[in-house]
Amino acid sequence: MTSWVRWALPPVIVTTVMQPVQAVEYLSIADAQRLAFPTATQFVEANVVYRPSDIAAIERLWGQKVKTRGEQVWRAQAGARLLGYFIVDYVIGKHEAIDYSVSLEADGRVRRVDILQYRESYGGEIANHDWLNQFVGRTSHDPPEFERNIRNISGATLSSRHVTEGIRRVLAIYETCLH
Amino acid sequence: MKPVCTSIRRARPLLGTFVEIAVSGIGRAAMEEAVEAAFATVAEVHRLMSFQDSASDVALLNRKAAERAIIVHPWTFEVLEASLEIQRRSAGIFDIAAAQGRRRRTSCIGSVELFPGRRVRFSDPGVAIDLGGIAKGFAVDRAIDVLRDRGVPQGLVNAGGDLAACGLDKALISLRDPRDPRRILCRTEISGEALASSGRKVDPFGGSDTTETAVIDPRTLRYAQAAVGATVRANRCMIADALTKVVMVAGEAMSPILAQYGASALFLSPDGDLRVSGNWQNAVRLAA
Repeated sequence: MTSWVRWALPPVIVTTVMQPVQAVEYLSIADAQRLAFPTATQFVEANVVYRPSDIAAIERLWGQKVKTRGEQVWRAQAGARLLGYFIVDYVIGKHEAIDYSVSLEADGRVRRVDILQYRESYGGEIANHDWLNQFVGRTSHDPPEFERNIRNISGATLSSRHVTEGIRRVLAIYETCLH
Repeated sequence: MKPVCTSIRRARPLLGTFVEIAVSGIGRAAMEEAVEAAFATVAEVHRLMSFQDSASDVALLNRKAAERAIIVHPWTFEVLEASLEIQRRSAGIFDIAAAQGRRRRTSCIGSVELFPGRRVRFSDPGVAIDLGGIAKGFAVDRAIDVLRDRGVPQGLVNAGGDLAACGLDKALISLRDPRDPRRILCRTEISGEALASSGRKVDPFGGSDTTETAVIDPRTLRYAQAAVGATVRANRCMIADALTKVVMVAGEAMSPILAQYGASALFLSPDGDLRVSGNWQNAVRLAA
């Protein structure tokens, strides 16, 4: 039978120090393009800037207010042949921001979605001593690798709802501006 | 000399959360291929066991299994078998019955029947199942299998806090404070094991001031009372995932079922104490 050990913790305000989930870069734009379209020979910038009529059409398809003025888009091509579209979008909130890419087939079906970067949008607390103290005592034999020593977090399910909504917006942009 | 990339880390939105896969120790191309295959496996679990997706095994069972026995994918069958076992061992505290609005739910005990040949039948037409409390852990286990099969020396799969590691090195895991998910409560190491946590759901874009907990006591239909957050360590992430709900509801009283699965747990009680099962206390360090 398991016995339990009880650790008394002072209230949350006193004990725990802000230790933000720091920025993680998963993929550069160039790497994400190469992984999504391995056979592409070139990525041609084809950024979209919305016209007023586009905004109305996107809002109708997406069902939410459009707050940006355009979207970063590349055409993935093998020579002159269009393989699909590579779109970089972001969602930004109170505490964190996420950059992600959506790769579409030439006919607009989602090919894949990658998170490019996850970061604190309020970087100030990174300078917090306790967070920095995690690095103290690390040597070249025991370096402060993010994944091994610091970065893995468990304890609450992060909702990906906003990214899912973002992907729906990207599909509305495809229908309106790329199709 | 060209710098050699010895590790990669990728993330995708799957299973309603962010699934992160990190690998190291082999060539770049082999790592990319292994990560791709692992994500494909997670997506397959999502496709089979999503409650919302009308083409999933779960949706098919909920539509048809009260009329006739339905043959499901081996993975769905495996998760159902494990679910019913945990349900039985926890005296119904773990329950795969789907929430049905504000009505009292029909428990799955005795009403979900499994037969040879991966056939599943519901003996009660009022039953509907939702594998959301266990499928995420199962997806992590399958992704780890893929990494192992491909000879990845070191790998970690994290599906929104349900995570497992493979390889010889230990992975250090920080556990969020369920009272404020921006803070770290404690740290622990895992090696070839899995860790799952329950607590609040956090929308990184809605702030951390949500009070919604994800766990309901199926016997009372009230929010779990024993803990405000729980973390379980087990050999399989599927087991850890399911047992966090059991600990959230019943806390220390769940020692026997933890022992049956060789699992360890810690939880934060509503009065602010951290309780750690005795077989785990040496491996947990407070963060502050």
